Amino acid sequence: MEHALTLIVVLPLAGFLLNGFLATRFGGNRVGKGFVTAVGCALPFASFALALACLLRLQATGYEPLVETAYTWALIGDQSFEIAFYFDRLSAVMTLIVTGVGSLIHVYSVGYMKDDESYARYFAYLNLFLFFMLLLVLGRSLLVLFVGWEGVGLASYLLIGFWFEDPAKAAAGKKAFIVNRIGDAGFLLGMFLLHQTLGTLDMDRINAAFSAAALPAVSASLIGILLFIGATGKSAQIPLYVWLPDAMAGPTPVSALIHAATMVTAGVYLVARLSGVYAHAPEASALVAGIGVATALLAATIALVQTDIKKVLAYSTVSQLGLMFVALGVGAYGVAVFHVTTHAFFKACLFLGAGSVIHALSGEQDITKMGGLARRIPVTFATFAIATAAIAGIPPLAGFFSKDEILWYAFASAQGGSTLLWLLASFASLLTSFYMFRLLWLTFFGTSRMTPAVEHHVHESPLSMTAVLAILAALSAVGGFFALPHFLEPMLPLPPIVAALHHLEHALIGIAVAVGFAGLAAAAFLYGAGARRADALRRRFPLAHRVLFDKYFVDEAYEFLIARPLLWVSDRVFLRIGDRVLLDGTLNGLAAWAQRAAGSLARIQSGNLQLYALLVLAGMVVALLWTWSHV
Amino acid sequence: MDSTVQVLLALSVALFAIGLLGLVIRRNLLVMLMCMELMLNGVNLSLVTFAHQMGSTVGAVLVFLIFVVAAAEIAIAIPIVLLLVRRKRTLDIGAFTGLKG
Amino acid sequence: MTALLQNLDTLLIYVFAALALVGALLMLVLRQPMRVALALISTMISLGAIYGLLGVHFIAAFQVLIYVGAVMVFMVYAIMLLEAREATPTGRFSALALPGIVAALVLVGALGYGAWHGFAALAGAAEGARFGIQQFSVSFLNDYWLHFELTSVLLVAAVVAALAVIKAGRRTHG
Repeated sequence: MEHALTLIVVLPLAGFLLNGFLATRFGGNRVGKGFVTAVGCALPFASFALALACLLRLQATGYEPLVETAYTWALIGDQSFEIAFYFDRLSAVMTLIVTGVGSLIHVYSVGYMKDDESYARYFAYLNLFLFFMLLLVLGRSLLVLFVGWEGVGLASYLLIGFWFEDPAKAAAGKKAFIVNRIGDAGFLLGMFLLHQTLGTLDMDRINAAFSAAALPAVSASLIGILLFIGATGKSAQIPLYVWLPDAMAGPTPVSALIHAATMVTAGVYLVARLSGVYAHAPEASALVAGIGVATALLAATIALVQTDIKKVLAYSTVSQLGLMFVALGVGAYGVAVFHVTTHAFFKACLFLGAGSVIHALSGEQDITKMGGLARRIPVTFATFAIATAAIAGIPPLAGFFSKDEILWYAFASAQGGSTLLWLLASFASLLTSFYMFRLLWLTFFGTSRMTPAVEHHVHESPLSMTAVLAILAALSAVGGFFALPHFLEPMLPLPPIVAALHHLEHALIGIAVAVGFAGLAAAAFLYGAGARRADALRRRFPLAHRVLFDKYFVDEAYEFLIARPLLWVSDRVFLRIGDRVLLDGTLNGLAAWAQRAAGSLARIQSGNLQLYALLVLAGMVVALLWTWSHV
Repeated sequence: MDSTVQVLLALSVALFAIGLLGLVIRRNLLVMLMCMELMLNGVNLSLVTFAHQMGSTVGAVLVFLIFVVAAAEIAIAIPIVLLLVRRKRTLDIGAFTGLKG
Repeated sequence: MTALLQNLDTLLIYVFAALALVGALLMLVLRQPMRVALALISTMISLGAIYGLLGVHFIAAFQVLIYVGAVMVFMVYAIMLLEAREATPTGRFSALALPGIVAALVLVGALGYGAWHGFAALAGAAEGARFGIQQFSVSFLNDYWLHFELTSVLLVAAVVAALAVIKAGRRTHG
C-alpha cells in the first residue's frame, strides 16, 4: 500500500489521541476500559502487521530500501527538511521488535494495570511512546530520529513518573529526562557538525558520504564521539547510566518495554545505522568499545548484591547494553543488532516475569522476602527460568548465540578486537550468569521467606499476562536460530577476522558455554540450601558488599560534584544576584522612581488656592515673555 | 507720546500686579476678593487710557461691560463666601483645601 | 496762571494716581478687613477722579456709582456681617508671601517691558479727543447692542444664582 510506513508510525499516535482525549479524566471519561483496551492494543498490532507487510514488500523488491516522504517540515533557503521514512533491513528488524514486543507488552498491561485508576492514561502514554519510537527507527534523517529520540525521553518521563503522587517516583522521572538531555547536547553538536559539513542530515546519504572516495572535511571520529555521547545518555552507559536503576519506579510493563527492549536500544540503533561513519572512525570505535565493556563490568558487579528484583534486572540491562556497544566498537554492527533482538525477548520476559511475581506477592519486590515460589506460580517460574538461562548464555537458547558472537568478535575482530577486551567481556558474562541464577534461586527456590499475609495470597497471574510470558519465553528459546547477522550482512558487513585467530573459534565457543554453566554452578552452590554460604561470604567482606550495594556511591558523587555546585550557582548567582537584584531591581527601581516622580509632582495639587494663583501668575509671565520675543 | 498716558499705563500695570500680589499674599477671603476688584480696576484704567488716547468709543464700551460683569460677579462671590464661612467657621484661606490631591 | 491751569489737569492726574497707588499698597498691609475696604474705596474714588480728568465723565460717574456705590457697599456689608468670625490666628500673610512678591516683580517687569516696546505703536494718535455720553450711547446701542443683550442675560443669570445661593443657604442652616 502507498503510505504504509507513515501508517505504521501514525497508528499509535491515533491511539494516544483517542485514549488521551476521550478516556481520561482530562477528556471527561467519555468511554470505558473496554474502549481503551481495544484501541490501545489493536493499533500496535495493526502496526506490527503493516511492518510485516512492508518486510514482505522489501523482500519482493530485492531489499531495495523503501522511502516515503510524509511531509516537508521546513524550506530554509535552498535546503529542505523533510519528514521521511526509510525502510531497509535494519529498520525492518527494529520495527518488528518494537511493534511486536510492544504489542505483547500492551496485552500484558491489560492484566497488570487492571485495577489501576489511571488505566486510560497509561495506555495513552504507552501508545505515545510507540509512536515516538517508530519515528526514531523509521526516520530517514537525523532530524526525524532526534524528534523520536526526544519523544521517547518524554514518554519515558511520563511513564516512570506515572504514579506521580509519590514524590520519589516523580523525581525518578525527572532524573531520567534530565540525564538524557545532557547526552542530547553531544547529539545536537554532532548533528550540527554533520549538517554544516555535509549539508544533509539523511542518514543513508551520510553513510554514503563517508564511504565515498573523497572523505568529507570533518573528522569521522569527532562526529562519532559526539553522537556516542547522546547514545550514552539514552542507552545508559558510563557516565550517564544513573537514571536507569531509578527508572524502576515506573510500572513493570513500562520497565520491560522502555527500559529493556526498545528505548534503551536506541543508542545501539543509532551507532549501527551510522555504521558508515563509525567504520571510518577508529578512535571513536575504540571509545565505544571501551566504555561498553567498562559499563558492562560496573553494572554486573553492582547487580551481584542488589535485593530489589527490578533493580537486579535494571543493572543487568545496563550490563547487556555495554556488551552491545562492545560489539559496535569492534565493527560487528549486525551482531550488536542481533543481541538487541535476543535481549528484547529475554529481558522483556524477565521483567514481565518479575512483574508477575510482584503481582502474585501483592507488591513485594525484595527478593530476601521471597522464596519457594517455584511450585506456587509454575508458569511464571518456567518462563523466568527459560529467560534466565537465555541471558546466561546456555545453549541452545537465544542469548547463547548472540553473546557468543559478541565475544568472538571482541576477541578476533581486525577492527579493534583484543584479548583484553574478550577477557573483560567474558568476565562480565560470567558475572551475568551468576547474578541471574542468584536471582532465580532467591526468588523461586528454597524455603519461603515471605510474610504470612503475603504468602496467603500468592496466586498465578491471569491469562493475559501468562500468555505473553509464554510467547516471550518461546522466542527466547528459539530466537537465536534467526541468523540476523547474516540477514543484515549486505548492509552491515561483519568485520574481518584476524587471520591467525581463525582457528580458535570453536575453542571460544566452548569457553563461553563453560562460563555460562560456571555461573549457574556458583549460584547454586552459594544460594542453594538456604543461602547460608552467601551470607557467610557477605559477612567476610562487609566493605566490598557495602560499596557494591551502594552502587559505588556514583549517585552521591554526582550529587556532590555536579548537582550541589550547580544548585549553589543557580541560587547565589543567578537567582539572588541576576534575577532578584539586577532584573527585579531594575524593574522595581524604575517603577519606584516613576512613583517618586509622580509623588513629587502631585504635591502641586495642594488644595492651596493661592498656590494655584501663583502658578497662574508664573505661567502668564512665561507666556508673555515668550510671545513678545517671538512675535 | 504723552507722559500722562505713560504714567497712567504704568499705574494700571502696578494696580494689576498689586491686586495679583494681594491675592497670593493675604489670607483673609474677603481681602482676597477685594484684591480681585483691584485687578479689575487696573484693567479698567488701562482701557480708559487707551480709549482717551485713540478717541474711539470701543474702550468705553468695554469698560462699561466690565462694570456690569464685576457687579454680577461680586453679587455671587460674596454669598459663596458666606456659605463657605458658614461651613468652616473661619475666613482663613488655609481652611479651604478641599481641592487637594 | 494759565500755565498752571493747563497743567492743572496733568498735575491732578498725577496726584490722584499717587493716591490710587498708595491705597492699593495699603490694601496689602492693613490688618483689618474694614480698613482694607476703605483703602480700596479710596483707590476707586481716585480712579474715578482720573477718569473725570481724562474727560470721560460718564465713566467716572459709573465708576463711583457701581463700584463704590454697589460693589464696595456690598463688600462692607459682608465684612460687617462676618466680623465676629474674623479670627485669623495665622496672621495676615500666607506662606507664599515671598514667592508672590518675586513673581509680582517679575510680572511688573514683563508687562513694563512689553508696554514700553508697544508705546511706539501708539505714537502720533490724536491727543485727548473727548467724547460725551451721547456719542457713547449711540455707539453702544448701535454697534454693540449684542453685547448689551448678553450682559442682560448675564445679569439674569446672576439673579438666578443669587436665588439658588439663598436656597442653599436656607438648606444648610436648617
